[in-house]
Amino acid sequence: MLTKRIQPMIFQARRLYVEVMFQVMGRALQAVSEVDKTVNKEAAALPDGFLFEMMVMPDGARLIVEHTGLGRFKYHGDSAPRPVDLSIQFKHIAHAFLVLSFQEKTSVAFANDRMLVDGDISYAVRMTRVLNRLESFILPKLIAERAVKEYPADLGLPEKLISAARIYLKVATNFVETVRAS
Amino acid sequence: MTNKYYEFFCPVKVIAGKSALEHIPYELTGLAAKRPMIVTDKGVRAAGLLDPVIAACEESGLEIVSIYDDVPPDSSTSVVRDIAGVYRQEKCDSIIAVGGGSAIDTGKAVNILVSEGGNDLSKYTGAGVLKHPLKPFFVVPTTAGTGSEVTAVAVITDESKGVKLPFSSSFLLPNAAIIDPRMTLTLPAHITAATAMDAMTHATEAFTCMAKNPLSDAYATAAIKKISQSLLQVMDNPKDAEGRLELAQASTMAGIAFSNSMVGLVHALGHATGAICHLPHGLCMSLYLPYVLEFNLEDIREPLGELLLYLEGPEVYANTPASRRAEASISAIRKLRDQLYRHCKLPRTLKETGKVDEAQLDQIAEMALDDGSIMFNPKEVTLDDAKAVLRRAWA
Ligand SMILES: [Fe+2]
Repeated sequence: MLTKRIQPMIFQARRLYVEVMFQVMGRALQAVSEVDKTVNKEAAALPDGFLFEMMVMPDGARLIVEHTGLGRFKYHGDSAPRPVDLSIQFKHIAHAFLVLSFQEKTSVAFANDRMLVDGDISYAVRMTRVLNRLESFILPKLIAERAVKEYPADLGLPEKLISAARIYLKVATNFVETVRAS
Repeated sequence: MTNKYYEFFCPVKVIAGKSALEHIPYELTGLAAKRPMIVTDKGVRAAGLLDPVIAACEESGLEIVSIYDDVPPDSSTSVVRDIAGVYRQEKCDSIIAVGGGSAIDTGKAVNILVSEGGNDLSKYTGAGVLKHPLKPFFVVPTTAGTGSEVTAVAVITDESKGVKLPFSSSFLLPNAAIIDPRMTLTLPAHITAATAMDAMTHATEAFTCMAKNPLSDAYATAAIKKISQSLLQVMDNPKDAEGRLELAQASTMAGIAFSNSMVGLVHALGHATGAICHLPHGLCMSLYLPYVLEFNLEDIREPLGELLLYLEGPEVYANTPASRRAEASISAIRKLRDQLYRHCKLPRTLKETGKVDEAQLDQIAEMALDDGSIMFNPKEVTLDDAKAVLRRAWA
């Protein structure tokens, strides 16, 4: 009896968590592309107007960002203005939760067949690098080491602290702006 | 390791050994196919490799309706469209690809068009686009290396747009792979060596990269054992049919392993080098393998050490302390490369190839970083890392 009542709550909490994490990541991607040279350089190699999507199959939460040019990302929320160019799809929300709660590294999730890529693989490799860099920025070092294969060596503490503060700030402003707009 | 999860899939019927080709008519009939088309290249035909295939079919009263023997080394969408046209005109009902990687990929792509209809191959590019089984499709490999007979992917160049189109679907897998020692008996020494080292790399990377799993491990180790035991024998005695069959089987087994657990940095560097310097794939694999293993060493010490058993046999394995086995495995691979160099000048360094300019290394490194295989390398690779590996492989 108890499990029957508790299960839906767990499912709902998990869905909520994934949705919120997608929002945080979307905003952080936009912010990081403005302040971090490495991410900016990686993004600059993508075509202008390139749409990247991360989603949960079959039709769950999604995160869409666009490369607007010059290495800048723009967060589009969960709806794309046109068909996306690259989609990374989690096969099940449970797998998305594993990755987004940093229990499973992005690269391991790929290796474990948790998600699949629809689109140009070389762009997927590039976006995985961007996501790794992003995770190591927005997370404390300890958790980030679990989430990315190797913690970037050139990410000294001051740089991280400064950048992270700016990113948090940017994410926060973006949140506020969204709230105001809606 | 509570997060450990894996998938393994290989529905290809393997038909291997003496007189394997003679099983083709029976297997085709079992799939209700009566009008097969052969897809191959000029080299295969000139080497007389089609003759036993055709004879085996005719003897059973099965007519090969059409033969397309003009597949180029780097197959294109227009070639695929032409072959599909012939297939339809001749009312064929099945495809037999005879050859190496290009002929096999072409066969897979032709099968998409003749099964799904239309002439626009680019509609089917990407992963999981195909939703239905295709026409009966058999593969007869004539090299022992690529493993394409058991992989669910094909790459075809779209020459109008100048891009390579990747196709990925389990429906691309052939119904059967026919491994007959007659098909590789006349393979020249340097191709035998390079393709065998491609298979060796498939198995080694499958066993040491991130998506390794118990089932692919079994195929990988068995493949490494066969290559270690037979490659030099075949180099000494090219007409050794038994050794040839061992290498061909090893190639298929390594193909099954890596199609389920992926490859890593050796392939990322190899793909980039192939594209920029036009070096054969197997040669690049042989060249980069030890340098990449050295780069990955601390992340793969345990599995790489285990491979010593299959590379050198139980005696050497038992006499090597556990802490030295990973290094000993790399030495074994280096030793094998030295012997192949003595046999057929198979290059061990980029300089030895004579086709790579030192100034190209940075470009290779950048391109390798965007290669899909790099995602499964056990150790994160930065641009500087890739450059460092390339510098070590230079001379
Ligand atoms: Fe290969």
